[in-house]
Amino acid sequence: MNLPFAIRTIRWMVRDTFRQSLHTKLFWVMLALTMVCVGFCFSISVSGDMPPTTLEFEIPAYITQQEAERIGLDKVKADGVRIINGEASFGFGLIKVPVGRHRGDAVRFVQLWLAAALADTVGVLLSLLWTAGFLPTFLEPQAATILLAKPAPRWSVLVGKYIGVVLFVSLHAVLFVGGTWLAIGLRTGVWNGSYWLAVPLLVMNFGIFFSVSTFLAVATRSTVACIFGTLLFWLLCWALNFTHLRLIAYPVDGLSGVSQMMLEIGYWIFPKPLDLGGIFFDAMRADGFSMKLPELIATQEKGLFHPELSIATSAAFAAGTLALAANEFRTMDY
Amino acid sequence: MTHAAVFDDVHKTYKPNPLSSRSHVAAVRGITLTIPTGSIFGLLGPNRAGKTTLIKLLLSLARPTKGTIQRLGASITNRQTLGRVGYMHENHAFPRYLSASEVLAFYGGLSGLQSELLPRLVDESLTRVGLADRRAEPISRFSKGMVQRLGLAQALINDPDLLILDEPTEGLDLYGRKLLREVVRERQAKGKTVLLVSHVLPEVEELCDRAAAIVAGQVAWTGPLSELRQSGTLEESLFAMYEKGMPR
Repeated sequence: MNLPFAIRTIRWMVRDTFRQSLHTKLFWVMLALTMVCVGFCFSISVSGDMPPTTLEFEIPAYITQQEAERIGLDKVKADGVRIINGEASFGFGLIKVPVGRHRGDAVRFVQLWLAAALADTVGVLLSLLWTAGFLPTFLEPQAATILLAKPAPRWSVLVGKYIGVVLFVSLHAVLFVGGTWLAIGLRTGVWNGSYWLAVPLLVMNFGIFFSVSTFLAVATRSTVACIFGTLLFWLLCWALNFTHLRLIAYPVDGLSGVSQMMLEIGYWIFPKPLDLGGIFFDAMRADGFSMKLPELIATQEKGLFHPELSIATSAAFAAGTLALAANEFRTMDY
Repeated sequence: MTHAAVFDDVHKTYKPNPLSSRSHVAAVRGITLTIPTGSIFGLLGPNRAGKTTLIKLLLSLARPTKGTIQRLGASITNRQTLGRVGYMHENHAFPRYLSASEVLAFYGGLSGLQSELLPRLVDESLTRVGLADRRAEPISRFSKGMVQRLGLAQALINDPDLLILDEPTEGLDLYGRKLLREVVRERQAKGKTVLLVSHVLPEVEELCDRAAAIVAGQVAWTGPLSELRQSGTLEESLFAMYEKGMPR
C-alpha cells in the first residue's frame, strides 16, 4: 500500500467535500443557523447574584421579590429568607426571568442547554440529514467511475469523503460553540472554558452516526436509506443505552438471562449517546444547577459507569463500521 | 514485448444484488484477447455485448469471476498501473461545483501527479482541448460537448500509456470530433496505445488498425480491420457477425 498517496487522496477528498458543501449552500445554511444562535446568546444578560451552588440538588433558601412582597418583607427578613434580586433577560430585555442562581451557574445552565439539547440532538440530527446525500451522490456510477479508475486506493477515497464531512461538521461545531461562548462571555462576563468540551462531544456523536450513514450509502447508494437508516439506528442506540442504565438503576425481576445478556452485548457494541451526554454533563460540573438523568446518577453511584470505556467502545464502533464500509467499497463492482 | 492489455479466458457474471435491481447476468464469457502496445484498437459489438464490462474489468472497476487480466504488463490487482491509464466515457457526471481547471487538478491529483506539476499540466490539457479561456468557469455552465472535451483533457492529463475511450464522440460537435481524431493520432505517433469503443463505424475504420468484435460476451472476431473488409464493407461483415450471435 502506498500510504503517502493514500494520504494525498484523503486530502483531495476533504477539499472536494468542502467545495461540495459550499456549492450546495449547506455551509451557509449551517452558518446562518449558528449566527441565529449567536444572536440569541448576544441578547442574554444576567444581573444580580446569588452565591454559587456547591451541593447537588441544593434546596434554595430564597424566594422571588414578588413572593416576598406578597408574604411581607418584614416577615421574610425576620425568617432569614433571602430574596432573589437576580434577573436574566433574553431577547434584549424582551423576556425577563428571576434568577435564583449564581451568575456563572445561570450562564452554564444556558450553555448546557445549547450544547446538550440544541446542538447535540437537533444539531447532530440536522447535520446527519443534510449531509446524508453527500455520499450517495458521489457514489453514483456516473459520478464515480472515472474517479475509481484512478490509482488512488478505493478505501482512501471513501475515508477521505467521510473525514471531509466530519471536518466540515467539526468546523461548524467550533463556530457554534465559539460564537455562542463569545457572545455570552461578552454580555455576562462569564467565560466558562468547559463549554468548549461540547465541540468533541458534538463531533464524536456526529462521527459515530455518520459512519452508519456511510455504510448505508455504500450498501444502497440511496439518500433515503441513509437518512431513515441512520435515524432509526440513532433511536435504537438511545433506547439501548437508556434501557441499560435503567436496569442498573432499577433492576427488574423476571428478566431472562438471555435478554439480559443480549442487552449487555448490545450496550457494549453499539454507541452510547446517553453516556456521552452524561460525560459532558459532568465535565460542565452541572450537578449544582441542573438535574442529571436519575438512571445515570444511580449507575454512577453503583460504580458501574465507565466513561473511558463508553468513549472507547463508541469510537471503536464508528471505526469498525467505517472499516466495514471501506472494505465493501473496495471489493464492489461498478 | 509487453502488451497494453491481455485478457486470458476472462469471465464476468454479475450476481443478483438484493439491495438493487441487478439480476444474474453473464456479461463476459471466456474472452481471450490481446491489445498490442502502440496500436489503435477498436472494440466493436452490439449493445449489451459486454464491451463496457470488459473495459470496467480492465480498469479494475469490476473484478473478473474467472480468468486473468494484465494491464500494462502487470496484474490488474496492481492499481499503480492505473496511473498510466487515461479513461474517458460518454456520460460522465463531473462534480458540477468545480471549474474546468479544478476538475483537471482534482482528477490529476488522484492520478498520482505531483502537486507542483499540476498547474502546468492543467493549462496544457485545457489548451489542447480548446477550453483554456473557460478554465475558471463552473462546468455547470458547460454544454455537453464541452464536458466531453473536458473529459478528454482529464484522460490525457497524465500522458497515459493506455488511453481508453468509451463512445467518445457522443455529444461532440465537428470541432470536438476533429480534435479527438487528432489526439488519437498524436498518441499513436508517440507509441502509446488507444482502446476505442465506438458504434460509429467510419470513425473506427478511419482511426483503428486492429479491432475485436464482441458478441454475447465472447470474442466473435479479432484482427486487422482490413481482414473484415475482404468479404464486403465493414458494416456488412459486422452485421453478419452480430446476426449470427456466435463466435467464429
